[in-house]
Amino acid sequence: MKKSLLALAALAAVSASAYDINGAGASFPAPLYFDWAYSFQKATGNRVNYQSIGSGGGIKQISARVVDFGASDKPLKPRKLDKKGLYQFPAVIGSIVAAYNIPGIGDMKLKLENKDLAAIFMGKIKFWDDKAIAEDNPNLKLPHKKIIVCHRADGSGTTFNFSYYLSHASSDWANNIGIGKALDWPVGLGGKGNEGVSSLIKQNPYSIGYVEYAYKLKNKFSAAVLKTKSGKWVSPTEDNFKAAAKHAKWTAKKHFYQILALQPGDDSYPIVAATFILLPREAKAKDKEVTKFFDYAFKNGDETAKKLGYIPLPKETKDMIRAYWKSNGIF
Amino acid sequence: MTRQDRRVLTDKIITALSFIASFIGIAALFWILGVLFYKGFTALNLHTFIYDMAPPGRAESGLRNALVGQLILVAGASLIGVPVGVLAGTYLSEYGGRNGKLAKLVRDISDIMMSTPSIVIGAFVYAIVVAPMGHFSGWAGIIALAIMMIPIVLRTTDDMLQLVPGSLREAAVALGAPKYKMIIQVVYRGAKSGLVTGILLSIARIAGETAPLLFTSFSNNFFSTDLNKPIASLTVTMFNYATSPYEDWIDMGWSAALILALFVLGANITARFLIRKKKGEK
Repeated sequence: MKKSLLALAALAAVSASAYDINGAGASFPAPLYFDWAYSFQKATGNRVNYQSIGSGGGIKQISARVVDFGASDKPLKPRKLDKKGLYQFPAVIGSIVAAYNIPGIGDMKLKLENKDLAAIFMGKIKFWDDKAIAEDNPNLKLPHKKIIVCHRADGSGTTFNFSYYLSHASSDWANNIGIGKALDWPVGLGGKGNEGVSSLIKQNPYSIGYVEYAYKLKNKFSAAVLKTKSGKWVSPTEDNFKAAAKHAKWTAKKHFYQILALQPGDDSYPIVAATFILLPREAKAKDKEVTKFFDYAFKNGDETAKKLGYIPLPKETKDMIRAYWKSNGIF
Repeated sequence: MTRQDRRVLTDKIITALSFIASFIGIAALFWILGVLFYKGFTALNLHTFIYDMAPPGRAESGLRNALVGQLILVAGASLIGVPVGVLAGTYLSEYGGRNGKLAKLVRDISDIMMSTPSIVIGAFVYAIVVAPMGHFSGWAGIIALAIMMIPIVLRTTDDMLQLVPGSLREAAVALGAPKYKMIIQVVYRGAKSGLVTGILLSIARIAGETAPLLFTSFSNNFFSTDLNKPIASLTVTMFNYATSPYEDWIDMGWSAALILALFVLGANITARFLIRKKKGEK
């Protein structure tokens, strides 16, 4: 036993020339980070170990400094970043869809008013053939079945962005539930991570949940047509996500703090969100290794991002992020 | 109905109920094993053992890093847990006395430790190892598992050594053997199969643990044997894969479960076999 342990240690020493990074956080971009890390390792030998534990966990673990980078879909305000001693930059943009599992009703067939979606997640609309839903869907045969609400059970940036959107769409939601990474859900089943919510939707007919678009693609879920800020019906398609993402106004001074939900424009899908990377300010040497990975991903990862259903950051934003790294001495 | 009839009837009802209860217990075990074999074998192939974890949908995807990580964690925990547990158990049985104050205290504490939820041990090790070290590490996982293992080994060792008749000890001492020789050559030898059984059962127990590893050894998507870094384990991988939305990952989660179940089952059966052998000797 001892001998083989020694042999293993020797083996580890040989491969130690390449570096290792550990990151943890948001499940929303996790499929993409896995993929980026996989090709980064193939290209450079460096290993980026990303674990999907939720945005809440990501912020917590980077604040405790037990990982090299954290990831969160909820951007931290500049003041909070100063307090925790963190840098922040966006990595990719994604979209949250209202995914439903109603036998017989296909993708983008169901239309949901933003305030009705809030009512569903508050348990105020209980059945699929409720008048409020039927009004907007005169051509659908809605079943008289109880709606099974699926939501996150862990601290989640997806929940933060989703509840931010609902709070602005429904005053009832804003007053009673509010905005947060973890909410006091009045109804529904809780799942861990986008992964958990996806399996809940899959397993329960007549359910609805909110997941990142990549999870919708992977699971071939049906997603609802929602309304833009201006009140136009808008389908969850990549063009409409991009239309919303165009309105982002990033500034390095605010550490890229920006919430992308409910952007103006008749094609702007209402729940688009960037996902962020958090780096400790004191660990410059390690930060340089992390930014090297994201620089590689910015250069080579756009195709993978698109394939998985994310929106790559525009070139100007990437350059702005590189300038931000340089000015802080972490690139 | 006479009194005798009533008693016979009661007897029959109770017998039937116990039979049904034991059948349910056994059926559940075979049901679990059946599902595990059925689902686990669909994704189990050579790739499982020669490739590391990969993003969903890749052909070159396996569990090699998790398997190796699991072996290292369990072996490391055993290297710490078994000697400490056996020596402490020896103290309790041979030096502490059945009713010694210190011995009683140690016994009570180890009983409490045995019933501590494993997630609490994970949180404890996070606070004393992971946070000060500044990163998740294989060592933290090993320490968490070893902490779980010590009270189990300690108690079984204590019990097994006490089964060795006092007359054997007296005989050894009467022949002029010093106490340490008496313990090593007479008491240990007499309790050998019991000791090994206890150790095997404790290994089987910790091998299936996920909770203490979640925030100690964390997980690693890559092959790593460096105990100063996060390391993959079968249990955490199984948890992540089984809850994922990807078909190929879910299938591999089943394979991980099957491998783990076979390992634990193997250890348990070996332990039973040793117990039986011991009974046969007597």
